[in-house]
Amino acid sequence: MVNLIKNEWMKIFKRPGTYVMIALLIIITSTIALFYKSQENTNNGSVDANWEQTLKEENTALDGQMRQSQSKIERDYYKKQIAINEYRIEHHIPAREKYNVWTFVKDASTLITLAGLFTIIVAAGIVASEFSWGTIKLLLIRPINRMKILLSKYVTVLLYALFMIGILFVFSSILGAILFGFPDHPQPYLNYDNGRVTEQNIVIHLFIYYGLSSISMVMLVTMAFMISTVFRNSSLAIGLSLFLLFTGEQFTSLLALKFSWAKYILFANTDLMQYIEGTPMLEGMTMPFSILMLLFYFAVFLFLSFYVFKKRDVAA
Amino acid sequence: MEQIVELKNVTKVIKGRTIIDDISFQVNKGEVFGFLGPNGAGKTTTIRMIVGLMDMTKGDILIGGASIKTDFEEAVRHIGAIVENPEMYKFLTGYQNLIHYARMTTGITKEKIAEIIELVGLTDRINDKVKTYSLGMRQRLGLAQCLLHDPQVLILDEPTNGLDPAGIREIRDYVRRLAREKNMAVIVSSHLLSEMEMMCDRIGIIQDGRLVDVQQIKEFIQGSGTAFELEVIPSKQALAVLQNHYPEARITSYRDGVTIELRKLEIPGLVKILVEEGFQIFGIKESGKTLEDRFLEVTGEKEGAIRG
Repeated sequence: MVNLIKNEWMKIFKRPGTYVMIALLIIITSTIALFYKSQENTNNGSVDANWEQTLKEENTALDGQMRQSQSKIERDYYKKQIAINEYRIEHHIPAREKYNVWTFVKDASTLITLAGLFTIIVAAGIVASEFSWGTIKLLLIRPINRMKILLSKYVTVLLYALFMIGILFVFSSILGAILFGFPDHPQPYLNYDNGRVTEQNIVIHLFIYYGLSSISMVMLVTMAFMISTVFRNSSLAIGLSLFLLFTGEQFTSLLALKFSWAKYILFANTDLMQYIEGTPMLEGMTMPFSILMLLFYFAVFLFLSFYVFKKRDVAA
Repeated sequence: MEQIVELKNVTKVIKGRTIIDDISFQVNKGEVFGFLGPNGAGKTTTIRMIVGLMDMTKGDILIGGASIKTDFEEAVRHIGAIVENPEMYKFLTGYQNLIHYARMTTGITKEKIAEIIELVGLTDRINDKVKTYSLGMRQRLGLAQCLLHDPQVLILDEPTNGLDPAGIREIRDYVRRLAREKNMAVIVSSHLLSEMEMMCDRIGIIQDGRLVDVQQIKEFIQGSGTAFELEVIPSKQALAVLQNHYPEARITSYRDGVTIELRKLEIPGLVKILVEEGFQIFGIKESGKTLEDRFLEVTGEKEGAIRG
């Protein structure tokens, strides 16, 4: 199995396209970093001296809105904001802090979509290309079960995703440290759970944040892998997956306005951050529900890939 | 001779159409078995089933006693194959390609890889990217790839497709040598008759998914006795005289004389008769039938076959 993964890794890294992807990821991260750096000079995120006063005013306003609100989701959201603001005042944690390495790493997480895009391209090709190259015939006449061959390819795709996100995280940390420096007193991240506010180390929070943000990427990558295996067509796999990567969530939230069954759509559930930082897309959605739905889709994608690959008559 | 590959009543139905219809044959160690048939007869499908790329609808295939259906890994371990063109990863070097396949079978050492590269004569170019290789070199790399794990069965599907005469000859020599020296069973498919004639010990003829005939190549070519060409004047009269003397034999006239199918022992008698009758004989030549003649006879399909 290790040998098979080594093979797949070799096939990915002996192609120039892979290095183009890595270079693009690094260039775009750098561009964003420089952009923030130039912003920092004009609007030197100086901490508002009266921030406690501002928060108090904000809370009064939020409280008023909460009383008028009809929807439970909205009321929960206001309640959470108020609780966090009160915690800040009580423990002297300003809401705005000077732009530093950790704020940059968090901002750079939007580029996970880009890492996702690149991983989708790899996932879409990893099975389909073997068919279009004709090498699948030599690959499948080895004394190795077809399941193992496919599994090694899937694991390689996941490793590649991890690799891309790793590059993003490490590179944006280094760049952030150079350009923005470390904060004097790293502020903890404030978690809100059932009326209680707790502190969390910012680095640990970032790990969790990156992890959860990668879920939709993993799901789409698995889908691309499935399409690649079932239809043996990498263009279709790339096209469809990228289309859904960029439009899936918006489209689902549109549907969610009208139909409650929208919560069963994959994209209503890919963003687990909605339970931590925001509010769920639809009422009645909970973290366990979303995890269950994700596992369901995941199992369906993988089952289809493996079933079709096992049964296929190779006549390329 | 010990048999190593056995097909038992293999049938393949695709979308209600019977592509392969109840084929059975065996291949022995040390033997080159030719699989011959017009395009679309089912050669490649049969080969794909032998190596497990395709499932069979009915029947079974045993390689070294293990079923390709139920014991795939054990069965395919004995096989080295090129199915159609030897497609390699073009962006890798020849060596990386071999490493790639070597990793997929246990127990292949670096020395073994070097030895095989030497054998197929790619030592100088093995570290170049495959996209710079000629077709002949790719064919040799393909051969190296299937010899890595010392298979007992070598399967080559249309191995000489697209090669120039030197390349064809090279492949033919490898195949004969491997069968002789390593006691390998080699299954070769082709529609090139002349090619098979020089390469194979035994051939199976397949047509419309059915195995028409399996025979030793010598018996096959001479299946209906030996023919002799007599250059004789005047040939018309000679034909009549011979028909009188040998009413059983098949006699036909050709441009310069007469062709007669006869046992060799009877030739001196025949010459005597002709001389006594006053005919002038310029030459007598034994003409073995070519595989093509027999092939066309057996398949009865005059247009379908192409001579290489």
